[in-house]
Amino acid sequence: MVKKVFERPLSWFERILFLDFIKGLSITIRHAFRKTITTHYPYEKLTPPKRFRGFFGHKVVDGREPQPAFDEWVERFKIKVEPGKSRCVVCMLCKRACPVPQLFEIEGEKLPDGRRRVSIFNMNMMLCTFCGFCVDACPVDCLFQSDIHETASYTRKDAVLDLETLERIGRDWQRRREDEPDRIWIDDHQRQRLWYENSINLPEVKR
Amino acid sequence: MEGVLAWLVITIIKILVILGIVLGIGAYLTLVERKVAAHIQRRPGPMVVGWHGLLQPLADGLKLLTKEDLFPRYGNRFLYNLALVMALVPATLVFAVVPFGPEFEAFGIKIKPILTDVNVGLLLVFALGSMAVFAIALAGWASNSKYALIGSMRKAGIIISYEVVITFAVMGPIILAGTLSTYDIVQKQIEQKLWYIWLQPLAFVVYMFAMLAETGRVPFDIQEAEAELVTGFTVEYGGMKFGLFPLVEWYVEVLSLSAIAVVLFLGGWSPINIPFLGFVDPLFFLGPFSPYVWFVLKVSLLFLFVLWLHWTLPRYRIDQITETAWKVMLPLTFINLVLTAIVAPLVWR
Repeated sequence: MVKKVFERPLSWFERILFLDFIKGLSITIRHAFRKTITTHYPYEKLTPPKRFRGFFGHKVVDGREPQPAFDEWVERFKIKVEPGKSRCVVCMLCKRACPVPQLFEIEGEKLPDGRRRVSIFNMNMMLCTFCGFCVDACPVDCLFQSDIHETASYTRKDAVLDLETLERIGRDWQRRREDEPDRIWIDDHQRQRLWYENSINLPEVKR
Repeated sequence: MEGVLAWLVITIIKILVILGIVLGIGAYLTLVERKVAAHIQRRPGPMVVGWHGLLQPLADGLKLLTKEDLFPRYGNRFLYNLALVMALVPATLVFAVVPFGPEFEAFGIKIKPILTDVNVGLLLVFALGSMAVFAIALAGWASNSKYALIGSMRKAGIIISYEVVITFAVMGPIILAGTLSTYDIVQKQIEQKLWYIWLQPLAFVVYMFAMLAETGRVPFDIQEAEAELVTGFTVEYGGMKFGLFPLVEWYVEVLSLSAIAVVLFLGGWSPINIPFLGFVDPLFFLGPFSPYVWFVLKVSLLFLFVLWLHWTLPRYRIDQITETAWKVMLPLTFINLVLTAIVAPLVWR
């Protein structure tokens, strides 16, 4: 049984006095005198949520690596661990997880002391779909996606992230947002303004 | 001889003042519209160029002037350019019969702040208003584009139906005043101590609707209908030629029709009216400038009301619009005419 729903037709009283017009006009005039809710973009910027899928970065070795996974991979590949350098263990799992594998260009090198480390890690962002599979695949929490979303560049070459850039993004991220609770919306006051103005009460996130 | 010379000088000054005011304000009304629209949608609107975007119209004008002027292949270049002239000239000409204030005396010469006090002023207004349909039909035809043609045909349909309605709507005030001269209509309202809106609310509502339809404002903006017709008859126009059409249609015409509405229904330059008793002027301290302030105030309030409607209502279909015009509005104006004829002797006394 299909429930039929009809809009109530306007009564003659409403038609003659334009009550539907007046209702709409009263709503718009009320909105016209409220505060605006936009962010004035190039001058004001919203902070994206922590899980935002933006440009990539490499987290660096700083003693907060996921254990015991990191030590296991280091031992397995005889990786040279340097504090302040990329955590990458050259396992190539990111490349395997990627729907467009040719965007990764990863090479390791053998040092004179027999240990190994990553030497080239290029990501061509022109091919990337920002799906985040590589981030899920990374076993040592090295590759991640940051909140950088202003990614326009003048040349195609600038869209390729090399190891140095990735590490720089990672260092910046770890300094700024690593300790932030991982929730979908952060308690940014700009964001709060948007949500609370619309009187939507988000449930408290249990941690 | 001296009288003729003085008259010539005064007329030229009047023309320059009116043209300057109308076109200057017309450009700045784009900013007003953008600000109103923005605040209704809870945005701040243009904020970057100048303080709160005050220089935005200049920037827009510069941008439009420096743009490339494209002409559609197989279009008719003569009619294409003629349409612009046909749009701009009649819309601006309407201001020739808009009275801005009462007669005053300067240097021993009596001056009426109206360009030409023709005794058939209103007839002129609606004749010129009907000219707009030529501009739009020509623009659509000469562009050699389907969208433009559809848009212009829709607009022609609307204007033809609402021309009749608006003419019958203003019959009421004309009967009450007993004259077609715009200056005299205001004079009569002051003598009779009555704004005609008190006796003609029906005609006023119908007039407002017809005004929205003629100027292509929402809810009657189907000739532009961004979603279906891109922008209707202006599709093939570029640069300043594109800028001129909305300027004329949305600002100059709305302004002139608001001014005419103020003259007909709201007592022109007279202050707040208590029917049959007199006028209350809270702006008495302005002295001789108070009538001008009242006139500008009423016109701008009416214009803001049109903007407010524009950014509130959705769009009607073409059949709904013409149906309302012929089946609802026109009979209403007839009823109003009969009622006015009955009431008129009371007002004439």
